[in-house]
Amino acid sequence: MNNLIESINQAVGEALQRVEAAENAADLEQIRIDYLGRNGLFPELSRQMSSVAPEERKETGRAFNTGRGSIQQALDDAGKKLGSDRTKAPKGIDVTLPGRCPRVGHRHPISQMAEECVAVFGRLGFTPMNGPELEDIYHNFDALNTPADHPSRDAQDTFYLPDGRILRSQTSPVQIRVMETHQPPVRIVAPGRVFRRDTPDATHGMNFHQIEGLYVDRNVSLADLKSVLQYFARELFGKDVKIRLRPHFFPFTEPSVEYDFSCVVCGGKGCPVCKNSGWIEIAGAGMVDPAVFRKVGYDPEKWSGYAFGLGIERLAMLRNHIPDLRLLYDNDVRFLEQF
Amino acid sequence: MKISRQWLSRYVALDCDDATLCRKLTAAGIEVENVESDSTVPAGVVVAKILERKPHPDSDHLSVCQVSTGNETLQIVCGAPNCDAGKLVPLATIGTVFETAEGSFKIKKSKLRGVESFGMMCSAAELGVGDDDSGSLVFDDGKTVGTPVADLFRGDTRIEVEVTPNRPDWLSIYGIARDVGCLLDAEAHLPEVELPESGVRRDDLVTVEASDLCPRYIGRLIRNVKIGPSPEWLARRLESVGLRPINNVVDVTNFVMMELGQPLHAFDLSKLSGGRIIVRRARNGEKIVTLDGREFSLGNDNLVIADAEKPMALAGIMGGEFSGVSGTTTDILLESAVFQPSNIRFSARRLGISTDASYRYERGVDFDMAEFASKRAAQLILETAGGELGCAPAEKTTGRPAEAVIECRFDRIRSLIGTDVSNDEMTAIFRKLQLKVDAVTEKSCRVTAPLFRLDLTREADLAEEVARIGGLDRVPEIPVSGTVCHPISEDAYRKVKILRDAVVGAGYTECVNYSVIGAATALTDSRFAESDLVKLANPLSPEVAVMRPSLFGTMLGTVERNVAHGNRELALFEIGRVFCADRTKFPEERIELMMLLSGHPHGERFSQEAKVEYDFFDLKGEIEALFARFGVRDCRFVALDGDSRFEKGFAAAIEIGGKVVGAAGKLAAKHVSWRNAAPVYCAQIEAAVCFAAVDRLRREFRTLPQYPASSRDVALLAPANLTHAEIVDFIRNSHVANLESVRLFDVFSDEKLAGENLRSMAYTLTFRRTDRTLTDAEINQAVEKLRARLEKELKLQLR
Repeated sequence: MNNLIESINQAVGEALQRVEAAENAADLEQIRIDYLGRNGLFPELSRQMSSVAPEERKETGRAFNTGRGSIQQALDDAGKKLGSDRTKAPKGIDVTLPGRCPRVGHRHPISQMAEECVAVFGRLGFTPMNGPELEDIYHNFDALNTPADHPSRDAQDTFYLPDGRILRSQTSPVQIRVMETHQPPVRIVAPGRVFRRDTPDATHGMNFHQIEGLYVDRNVSLADLKSVLQYFARELFGKDVKIRLRPHFFPFTEPSVEYDFSCVVCGGKGCPVCKNSGWIEIAGAGMVDPAVFRKVGYDPEKWSGYAFGLGIERLAMLRNHIPDLRLLYDNDVRFLEQF
Repeated sequence: MKISRQWLSRYVALDCDDATLCRKLTAAGIEVENVESDSTVPAGVVVAKILERKPHPDSDHLSVCQVSTGNETLQIVCGAPNCDAGKLVPLATIGTVFETAEGSFKIKKSKLRGVESFGMMCSAAELGVGDDDSGSLVFDDGKTVGTPVADLFRGDTRIEVEVTPNRPDWLSIYGIARDVGCLLDAEAHLPEVELPESGVRRDDLVTVEASDLCPRYIGRLIRNVKIGPSPEWLARRLESVGLRPINNVVDVTNFVMMELGQPLHAFDLSKLSGGRIIVRRARNGEKIVTLDGREFSLGNDNLVIADAEKPMALAGIMGGEFSGVSGTTTDILLESAVFQPSNIRFSARRLGISTDASYRYERGVDFDMAEFASKRAAQLILETAGGELGCAPAEKTTGRPAEAVIECRFDRIRSLIGTDVSNDEMTAIFRKLQLKVDAVTEKSCRVTAPLFRLDLTREADLAEEVARIGGLDRVPEIPVSGTVCHPISEDAYRKVKILRDAVVGAGYTECVNYSVIGAATALTDSRFAESDLVKLANPLSPEVAVMRPSLFGTMLGTVERNVAHGNRELALFEIGRVFCADRTKFPEERIELMMLLSGHPHGERFSQEAKVEYDFFDLKGEIEALFARFGVRDCRFVALDGDSRFEKGFAAAIEIGGKVVGAAGKLAAKHVSWRNAAPVYCAQIEAAVCFAAVDRLRREFRTLPQYPASSRDVALLAPANLTHAEIVDFIRNSHVANLESVRLFDVFSDEKLAGENLRSMAYTLTFRRTDRTLTDAEINQAVEKLRARLEKELKLQLR
C-alpha cells in the first residue's frame, strides 16, 4: 500500500463522516465540491497518480475509483434520505383544503362564434378580410347597386357622419373593396361589426356583427352556394341540419335568396323557437348581381359568383340558447363565464 | 300585405288547403309571415249519429246516448235536450282541444254522476259557429258520419305576406293571384267589367302640366251618386284585409286598390274650383291641409292635384281636407293615375306621410292597369252608390312606356342556378308568368316583360324567375368546390385572434361593448377632447351619439354593472376598434386593447391568502408576460403623472422603444363606484404594437448554455427616490464583464432607513460565458469594479 492509497482511504473516511453529519442539501453539495468537484481533493489526487510506481498503479487506480464511487454513492443515498424525510412531515396536510385556482379567461360568445365561422369557411378556402367601419356611401350602397332613394339609406336607419360618410350598415362593402383591388377568382369572408339605427331590444342593437362571404370564379352557380351553406350548417349545428333556400330580394344579388336552417332546437318538428314552422331564418344570399360586377370592373359574362351574409349574434343566440341579444352586450361575468 | 283566401279565390281556383298554399307562396318568394283562420272548430270534432238515447239513471236532465262516429260507437252522457236518436250531431272525441278565452281545455274520458262518457256533443256556440247554446247543433241528413266538422264550417283565412320592394305587383290580391295561378297551374283572371261608356267628351277635365312626374292621368265624372254605407260584401272584403269601411265610394276606391294595386282617389266635384283638375308642381311655399288635418308647406318638388285655384291633393299620397267625398257629395271626379315613383317617394319622405297609395306609387304601379282599374271602380260605384257617368274617361298621357325585351340564353341560366332545367320548362315558366316569349331557338329565346313586371330587365332577373318558380329545392347539393385563390394577404383578423388568445390565456374574460356611445362616456378618457370625437350627424340619443375614442368609458360601465350584481372578482379585457377625429393624434380607426383587474387573485383560498388584493404589479406582470410572448423585449413602465384616469402615483406610461404605447394604473377614485371595495387596475394598450411584434416574431433556436453560470449578490443602500429601473440601467450600462442577468431579490426599508430617505436593495448578478467556465477570480474582479462604480458614480453605500 502506498501513500496515495492511504490518502485516498483517509479522504473517503472523512467524506463519509461528513456525509453522515450533513443536515441539508447545501452541506451535501459542499462535500461534493470539496471531494469530487473540479478543484476538489479527488482531481488533485488523480494528478498525483503519475508519481506512483507503475506496478502499483492498478491497485491505486482501483482504490481511487472505489473511493470516489463510495463517496458518490453516500452522497446520493443521503440526498434521497433528505428528500424522503421532507415528505414525512409529522402532521401531513389536509388535502381537502381549497386548491389555488389559476384564473381562467373566456372568449366572448360573439368572438367564439365569429372565430368558428371563419374557421369553418377557412376549411373551404375562404380568407378572412377586413374593412373600415366608417365607410363611404359608394362602397356601402352605390357599388352594391342600391338605388339612390332606397329606404336603407335613410337617416332613419343608417348612422351618418357630418362629412356624409356612414357607419357601415353591412359587411358587404368589404366585397367591393376586395373586388376593386383583386382580380378574380376571389374567395373571402369578412367578419365585422355593422351599425343600424335601432334602439336596442331583445333582437336588435345599434351595432351587431356579420360575416360576409364572397366567391367569384368561372361558372359559379346557385348550387355551389347552396352546398357551401349546407356544409356550414352541418359544421355548426350537426349533421342532421338541413337548409332551405327561399326567393328574396337584395339589390346586390340576382337571383337572391333567404336561407333557413331546419330548426336546431326541435329538429324541424315544430317548436316555439321556429314558431312551429320547423325552419329558422338565418340570413340572405344570392348570385352577385351583374351591376355589382360592372361597378368593380369584372366582366359579368366571364365571371359569376355568390355572396352570403350571416348574423353572428343570431347564430350565437341560437346555438347557446341565449334568449336576449342585450345579454351579449351587458358583459355580466356570470354570463360570460358560461361560455 | 294582408290577403284573404276567399277574396283571392275570386281570381284563381285555389285547389289546395291553407298549409299547401302558404308553403307554395313562401317557396315562390311571397313569404308568409302570419296565417289566421276564421275556422273555430277544433280538429277532433266529427259528424256523429245518435243511435240510442236513454235517460240517465241518476239525473233528470242528462241523457245517456250511444253515438256512432262511423268507426266506433261511443257512450256519451249529454245534457242537451235535443239529443234524440237518429240525429246527426257534432261530437268532440277524446283528445279534442278547445281554445277558449279562459285557456284551452281537452276532452277526456269522464264520469258524469257515475256513468262513463267518451266525448261531448257540441252546441253551435261551443263550436263558435253560431250563438245557439240551447242544445246540440243538429246537421241535416245529407252529412256523412265521420266528416270533420271543421270542413263544414270553413271560414276565411287571412294570410299576411312580406312583399319585397322589387315586386310592387304583389301589392294587390289580383297580383298575388297571378303568381298563385302559376304555382297551382291554374289561370288567374281579372274580374269582368261591363261599362257602357258615356259619349260626352270632356277633354278639359284634366290638364297635366308636370307630365314628367305624371305619365298617365285618367279622370272620370260620375254624377248623382248617393253616398251611404257600403253593401255588406264590400265592407267585409275590406275588413278581411284590415281596412275600415267608410262609405260606398271611398270603399270602392280602396277595394279596387287592394284588388288591382291601382290607387284611386275620388274628388267631390263641387269642391273643385272650375270643376276640373290640374296636375302640376306645387309653387314654393304653397300650402295644403291634408284630410287628416295636417298642414304642409310645399315646394316645387312636390306634385299636387290642383283645381283652378289651389292644391286639392298631394298627388299619389293623400287627398286634401274637404276635397274628398262626404255625406253630401253628389258628383265625383274619379282619379286613376300613374306617377313617377321616385318623386312620390321623395315627397312622402320629406313630408313624413306614408299611405297605402304612396306605398304602391313609390314602388311603381302598372301603367296598363290604370285604365282597367278606373273602369272597374266606376262600375262598382254605379252599382253601390247609383248615379251615372258624366262623360267619357278623360285621359292625359305621355304614352305607353316601352316593355323590356330580354335575351335569354338557356345555358347561361342553367349555369347560374346550377339546376338542370330544360329549355321548354323555362319558356313554360315565362309564359305562365304572363311574360311574352318569342324567337325561341335551341340556345335562347326573347322575353318581353309586361309593364307590371318592371323588375325584369336582365338575364339574371329571368334566372331568378326560373329558380323561383322551378323551385329552389331543386337546386342540387353538390360537393363543395372552388379554386384555391391566390392568397389575399390580409391577416389583421389573424393578429386579433392571436392577441385575443394570449389575453384569454392569461386568464382574462372578454367583453364586447357597444361602439356608439355618449360624449360624456367617451370623455371619461381624459386623453381625448370633444374635438377628437367622431360624432354622428343623426344620433339616436345623447347616449348613442359618438364613436368611442377608447374602450375606457364603456369598460367603466361594464365594471359598474358587474359590481352592482355583486361580481367583485374581475379580470376583463376588450379588443375593439376605437375612433379619433384628430388624425394627428391617432389614425381615424384603430384597434385598442384594454385589460382590467379587480378583486382577489385567490379569493377561493382562505386566511391571509384569500384577502390579498390584486395590485399594480399583478397587472404589470401580466402585460410584461404578454409582451414577452410576442417577443417585445424593450418594454418599460415609466411613472405617469397628470393622467386623470388613474390615481396619482399609481400609474405608468407603457413605452416600447421610447414610444408611449399605452398606460396602466390604479383607476382614479372618481371612476370607481363606492360599491366596489377593491381597487381597480386597468391598462390601455395600442394593439398595433402587438400586431407589429407578431409580424416580427420569428422564433429562432439559440444554443443552450454549455457552461455553468455563477452568481454574486450585491446589497446596497439607495436613496428612496432612485428607481429600480435606474439602478438596473446603471448596472447594465456599466459593461460588467460576462454579466448575464440582474435580478432584484430584496427591497427593505425600516424606520431608521426611511428617516434617512434610504432603502436597501439587493440584487443577484449572474455571470456566464458561452465558451468556458468563468473563474472565481474574474467574477470577483468584475463585481468589485461594479461595486466601485456604484459607490463612486451613484453614491450608493454598499453593504
